[in-house]
Amino acid sequence: MVDPILKISNVSKNFGAIQALKKANFEINKGEIMGLVGENGAGKSTLVKIISGFDNAYDGDYFLNNKRVNFDNPVKAELEGIAIAQQELSLIPNMSVAENIFLAGSKVKKFATIKKLAEEAKPYLTLVGLNDIDPSIRANLLSVGEQHLVEVARLLTHEAKILILDEPTAALGEAESRRILDMVRKIAATGKSIIYISHRLDEIFKITDRITVLRDGETQAISNTKDLNVNKLAEVMLGRELKNMFPPKSSQIFEDTHLEINNLWPDGLIEPVNFKIKKGEILGLSGQLGSGAGEVLASIAGSLKNRSGRLKMNDKEFMPKNPQEAIKNQIAYCSSDRKKDGLFLGRPIFENLTSPALKFISKFGINMGYNESQFSKSLALDFLIDVKRVKDEAGLLSGGNQQKVALGKWMSISPEILLVNEPTRGVDVGAKSEIYQRMRELANKGTTIVFASTDIQEVTYLPDRVITFYQGLMIGEFSEKNIETTNIIKQITDPFNETNL
Amino acid sequence: MINTTNSEIQNQQISYVDKILSYYKERTLFSILLTIFVILFLYGIFSTNNYLTIFNFKTIIRDAALYGIMAIGLTFVTLSGNFFLLSLKETAAICCVSFAVGMSTGFGVEAWVGNFAISLSVTLLIGLVAGVIQGFFVGLGNNPIVVTLGGAGIMYGLAAWWSDNLVVSFRRPHDAEWLGTGSFLGLPTITWSFILFAITAELLLKRTNFGRKVYLIGANRAAGKATGHENFSMAIITFTICSLCCAFVAVAFAAQMSSAQANYFSAEFGSSGDMTILVIATVLVGGNSIMGGYGSILRTSVGAVFIAMIDNMMVLNGLNSGPRVVGVGLMIVFSILVFALFAKGSRAQE
Repeated sequence: MVDPILKISNVSKNFGAIQALKKANFEINKGEIMGLVGENGAGKSTLVKIISGFDNAYDGDYFLNNKRVNFDNPVKAELEGIAIAQQELSLIPNMSVAENIFLAGSKVKKFATIKKLAEEAKPYLTLVGLNDIDPSIRANLLSVGEQHLVEVARLLTHEAKILILDEPTAALGEAESRRILDMVRKIAATGKSIIYISHRLDEIFKITDRITVLRDGETQAISNTKDLNVNKLAEVMLGRELKNMFPPKSSQIFEDTHLEINNLWPDGLIEPVNFKIKKGEILGLSGQLGSGAGEVLASIAGSLKNRSGRLKMNDKEFMPKNPQEAIKNQIAYCSSDRKKDGLFLGRPIFENLTSPALKFISKFGINMGYNESQFSKSLALDFLIDVKRVKDEAGLLSGGNQQKVALGKWMSISPEILLVNEPTRGVDVGAKSEIYQRMRELANKGTTIVFASTDIQEVTYLPDRVITFYQGLMIGEFSEKNIETTNIIKQITDPFNETNL
Repeated sequence: MINTTNSEIQNQQISYVDKILSYYKERTLFSILLTIFVILFLYGIFSTNNYLTIFNFKTIIRDAALYGIMAIGLTFVTLSGNFFLLSLKETAAICCVSFAVGMSTGFGVEAWVGNFAISLSVTLLIGLVAGVIQGFFVGLGNNPIVVTLGGAGIMYGLAAWWSDNLVVSFRRPHDAEWLGTGSFLGLPTITWSFILFAITAELLLKRTNFGRKVYLIGANRAAGKATGHENFSMAIITFTICSLCCAFVAVAFAAQMSSAQANYFSAEFGSSGDMTILVIATVLVGGNSIMGGYGSILRTSVGAVFIAMIDNMMVLNGLNSGPRVVGVGLMIVFSILVFALFAKGSRAQE
């Protein structure tokens, strides 16, 4: 048995009260493709940050070639041959491919013509399967998949021995994904080790030699891919007992249509969608990143442009052009990125809570503060936010409490329709459960809730009905009895049997 | 509190630490400003004759009032996250020319010569139009710096054209003297105006929905949009408020000088030469966040008095305008540095 070239043992890492990693283990051999899987918040990104030197404040041991190391910055990790391709592209769009590849300046002369650079870039491009492109063209003329490949080529110029690929196919279609997978195999064959992170289980099974599963910061298993199948892997990933986090589903039968979505064609979808939302139900839109589920929600709320579409609600037909109009029609939309457009981090919590409802807390536009303080306190109580803290800045709260504020602020307008994109992204387990509970209570009181999520548990156990999306297409629908993890996973990862898993 | 979970309690402990830390940080900033203030004040008393006189005190608050009022207007813009108007002094220029033309020629109508009400109305109207147009373009999503730089060029050019680049003067006594040189209960009228503007503005910001929207949009424009508060109308309103403040100051200054010229606020203006820089400095030195969403009129007012005090001291020590402009520049750099060091982290801007 050879020693692994990289080994992480018993590493723990805390962020405030949240334990992102609990004695996690990880290892990779030379020339091996190691899959790293786990849900959102399982600790994958924390582990990757530690491996690639972005984070060195952890407990535990990190061995590279049997030598204990602790990188205090990413450059040092890079010098040791560890390179990471982030999920977001970091190419400079209007520079040439060759310039992008040699951006860090290593291995080239201080002065070189583009032609010279292009020549030197060729071998690296061939290695990643881009032998047909001209290295002197601008990087933004390439497709997204090709840009990912260029990024990997860039890493190869650094003589990387261990490559970390963080969801390289998340935003790609099937054909492009295939190119990435081919590239990964090719590079692994040259003796480099690859850590492959992906939510697409089919890919993981296709290319990896071994799989490491993380759940709640703990390493569940490091097993040979041969010994696993999709169901088994999902089981290890999710952990069964988490089922109890979810409130019981409604026993009601939903009949009245509350919101009818006709011909809605948001940017990012391949064709228009039509569906109906029933009064008082929780409808889940399930799909991976880039599937279009979130875009549908944003579009209903008027915060994303769409090519066509009408909404029908209470016998009224309309289409909100901006969030303001949606709010007027009692449609609230809680976005997936609370830091970007969900919260006013620098403002007090109570101001956040009442922000959509200024007209309710004021008379003739004047707000003397008394009504507001009563109102915000009742909202805080409702959403289990500590009432004593309502005057604190929202930015001081933990992720879970921030999410509660981001969601709770919409209760201030008592919406008829509540749209939630990723209700529990970056939220700890306790707060997750509270948020689910609260959503179910609201639905029971007659609020209609639609949420989009990439979290497969959430989609399985929370909603009364599920609609699946795959790469910009609406695929299918499951109602109450038929909602099952495996069915949904099938529809959101490989609905057309392209991969013959 | 009692029945919260373990993690919740830990959370709270951490955030109490955060809170104390952030208070400390804010106090640090405050105490630094206060220390400098006191040192300068003592230095002023001991090194300068005539420093601790009522006359000098009046001079300080009088100086502070002129750019203080403009700074109050600018505070709305900065708080709403729309940075600055670079056309402050040019707006004032065209407005003071307009006022003087109105007072001296009645805009060509014989019966209006020397009519304060009409001159004032026309001038405020010009300020309003300037604010609405610039705010409109910024509201559409254009960069405020670029838009107001363009506006500045246009307005200065128009002002110079209108006045043939000459001094437009009107004879004393005139109807506007109460505003320019008059005083009430021992304080200059302009100082009273400053106090009135400050109180009104603070009430507007702290006690109305409009004020709340200014803060919210400034703190996070995307979240503001998502909660139904668009920057489009906000940009127009704040730019208009700011331009109207400029127009008011222009009227008061023209009334005080009994004349107007396009470059009054560029070179000739009282203490430190460039009015725009002085006003922006006032907003920043007081400690309003340059990114918006955090600050108050109180801070702006303190900034105005602070700058006026230092400037006054430089005058009394016989420094001419060159070193005084350097002084204002240093104050801006200093306040930005202090804020970068102490305030940013605590305000969770990321």
